[in-house]
Amino acid sequence: MKHFLRVVTQFFVFLYCKLLWRGLKFVVRKFTGRCELQRICYNNKHGARRTLKIESSLRYSKNGLLQSALSVHPDKVEKTIDDIMALKKINPDTNPQLGISLQASLLQIVGYRSLVMEVEKLRREPYDCENAEHEDTLMKLWKELRPDTPLTGRISKQWCEIGFQGSDPKTDFRGMGLLGLHNLLYFAEHDKATALQMLNDSLQPKHKYVKTLHLNVYHTMANYSFAIVGINITDLAHSLLVSGALKTHLYNVAPEMPSLLHFQQTFCYLMQEFHRFWIEEDPSDIMEFNRVRSKFHRRILRQLKNPDMALCPHFSASDLHLVNL
Amino acid sequence: MSKPGRTCRIVLSHLLRLLRCRRRMAAAAAGINKQGAVATMEPCIRHGRGASGNTVKVLECGVCEDVFSLQGDKVPRLLLCGHTVCHDCLTRLPLHGRAVRCPFDRQVTELGDSGVWGLKKNFALLELLERLQNGATNQSGMAEDALKGMGECIIRCDEDESHTASMYCTVCATHLCAECSQLTHSTRTLAKHRRVPLADKPHEKTLCPQHQVHAIEFVCLEEACQSGPLMCCVCKEYGKHQGHKHAVLETEANQIRASILDMAHCIRTFTDEVSEYSRKLVGIVQQIEGGEQIVEDGVGMAHTEHVPGTAESARSCVRAYFADLHETLCRQEEMALSVVDAHVRERLIWLRQQQEDMTILLSQVSTACLHCEKTLQQDDCRVVLAKQEISCLLETLQKQQHQFTELADHIQLDAGIPVTFTKDNRVHIGPKMEIRVVTLGLDGAGKTTILFKLKQDEFMQPIPTIGFNVETVEYKNLKFTIWDVGGKHKLRPLWKHYYLNTQAVVFVIDSCHRDRLMEAHSELAKLLTEKELRDALLLIFANKQDVPGVVSVEEMTELLSLHKLCCGRSWHIQGCDARSGMGLHEGLDWLSRQLVAAGVLDVA
Repeated sequence: MKHFLRVVTQFFVFLYCKLLWRGLKFVVRKFTGRCELQRICYNNKHGARRTLKIESSLRYSKNGLLQSALSVHPDKVEKTIDDIMALKKINPDTNPQLGISLQASLLQIVGYRSLVMEVEKLRREPYDCENAEHEDTLMKLWKELRPDTPLTGRISKQWCEIGFQGSDPKTDFRGMGLLGLHNLLYFAEHDKATALQMLNDSLQPKHKYVKTLHLNVYHTMANYSFAIVGINITDLAHSLLVSGALKTHLYNVAPEMPSLLHFQQTFCYLMQEFHRFWIEEDPSDIMEFNRVRSKFHRRILRQLKNPDMALCPHFSASDLHLVNL
Repeated sequence: MSKPGRTCRIVLSHLLRLLRCRRRMAAAAAGINKQGAVATMEPCIRHGRGASGNTVKVLECGVCEDVFSLQGDKVPRLLLCGHTVCHDCLTRLPLHGRAVRCPFDRQVTELGDSGVWGLKKNFALLELLERLQNGATNQSGMAEDALKGMGECIIRCDEDESHTASMYCTVCATHLCAECSQLTHSTRTLAKHRRVPLADKPHEKTLCPQHQVHAIEFVCLEEACQSGPLMCCVCKEYGKHQGHKHAVLETEANQIRASILDMAHCIRTFTDEVSEYSRKLVGIVQQIEGGEQIVEDGVGMAHTEHVPGTAESARSCVRAYFADLHETLCRQEEMALSVVDAHVRERLIWLRQQQEDMTILLSQVSTACLHCEKTLQQDDCRVVLAKQEISCLLETLQKQQHQFTELADHIQLDAGIPVTFTKDNRVHIGPKMEIRVVTLGLDGAGKTTILFKLKQDEFMQPIPTIGFNVETVEYKNLKFTIWDVGGKHKLRPLWKHYYLNTQAVVFVIDSCHRDRLMEAHSELAKLLTEKELRDALLLIFANKQDVPGVVSVEEMTELLSLHKLCCGRSWHIQGCDARSGMGLHEGLDWLSRQLVAAGVLDVA
């Protein structure tokens, strides 16, 4: 009996997806006189809510033009909007708002795709010792984090001070490539206060004095390595981006095309949040990192379920002038 | 040459002669040589030498140690001081004007015009000598009689066939008995003939093959003539050895004899060594075999005691070892059996519980059925009244049924008890054997990459591991729980938290980083000293073997001196490449071979 019910439900869902949904759309369209895109644009504020709906509407459309609109080149967005308006027989003069909002959303959607590609390209580019640009970036990172200490050499034990694993940071960039380096540098440049705070915490592990019933236990607060945590958080941000979970945030934050800058700011936010989260979690030692990290990951994913969510970093006043959006 | 020097030389020659066992012969030959006599070629058979030798030995010249004779060179002559020296030696003594010095006390004896010949013979000694010799002849005669019966060859006297010769006249080259010697040599001239006991008969002179009348007296020293170096005086002066370097036969022979003696000495020491060695061998054999030994105890009572040989002790050692092994095996067997028993007990208890539950369920269902039937037979009003109750009953029934189906899905109704044995003879029950492995190594060696390659069979460039990753990898009938701990410097002290209950350590080394090999070596050495890892297997992955110009597995074994480092534990080095996965499964194969008793792996 139960099994039968399940089958029937599945059948109806299938039917709805295949026919009824389209039928319903048709009826509504006839009834209100507006197409689905119009309805979405008029009923939702701009931001992730609207853009996400438009994206799914376009994806499930049976029209080839609408489907391909998702993967159109950013320069051709305006023309595509015109095509869509023509296809849907919407008069641009009577609906001036529609074109603008549709264009903004479409730019966001297309921009997200290109951002994923851009980030992926950066990630796949391995750190090259021969490349002067890479070397410069690395040196800049050192200068930002340790302005008072000169680096004794390209390969030096000093790299461990800012949290690399060995004397050559190159080996640590194998998974995230240049993306990790750029993110770290952006974080160090634009959120110097937090970066230095984190670095300081990792260098001089503060001990929190916890008095239990019989024994005194020392807890290390943030005894982790700055650079490789940064690379790990880059991996987290990257996986969020690739899985599409960051769409919510980016559609809310970026008015038009989201850029690498937005991604880097997200990274800063994640670093700040993770640092706070780590201290809240108060793990007994660094070995719990992966547990804390996956818990943090789940928390961020939960937050991003809310379509109004934006992961905006809290820049301190002194660093604000650097943030140019 | 100074006078004392000469005397010294005489004393030296005397010492030298002491060493020569055949000195009598040589001296006799020399004596004959001086007289220029030619020996006849007659076979000489010595006999009765022991007796005559013993008696005559007393009456020897103190200088040359040759036996005094009644006449001739070896006649004993008295010096003024009272010492007796043979005539021959006296003639050799150096003259001091007209005097000689006694070789024993260096007192001076004046010589007359006739020189040495003027000194008085020691007549007392001569008389004694004569008597002794007569006695010796009689004795030897008696010995000969005794020997005759035994068919000994005896030399006859040349004068009378019935007599037995006891002497040899070196001048006439005849064999004589004592009587005939007196008779034939009674004239003054003949009496001077030197006669020696038969035993001291000199060797016959060998004649030169070219010049039949001349005896061989010289030896050629030329290299070319070494095949036939013997020569007579004619050969020397006019024959084929004319103008060649030469030596006197006698001295050459003596030299050779000396060298033979030396050799004999050498051989004697060698024989001593050999016999010493063989004696040692005997001792060792005895030590190995063991045996009875007479031992005196504290009270002084001697009693035999069995001394165990090394063979015995080795045997007992083996016996003890295997007894120990048997004991351990028995203990392990008992433990394994108890594990199986516990498993069976637990399972049976659970099954019985299930059985009971089922019976209860059955009875509940049947009561419900009975209740329903009863209700059916009641009148309408009551049926209506019972509606609530019945529906409640049906609901619980349905719930129970649901539970039952769910339960049935979960239970494997399989009576089989799959059993696997580990190498240390522990028993494992269940289809998969779980093994705890910890992966360690320097940062960037490829631990995480290997882990993910094993887990998902895909290559990914990992990010630096902070803390650890843990994955279970199933391989054959084994379930590896692999702990991949970050290799960062700061994390290394925390490795030890993962050692507990770890059956195997996988140490990953980056083969393309030559300069970090020493760091890896020191970490590995530190790891091997850990007490918790004493019994753990060690698998070393030489990772990144795909990169050209990489340190090969053999070279790495050499560089890290692994044989020395991992002495006494089971270890294995495996070249691998996490990119393609080459070598990883071979490594796991090795681990499973080490962990699971042979044969079981294939059966399970």
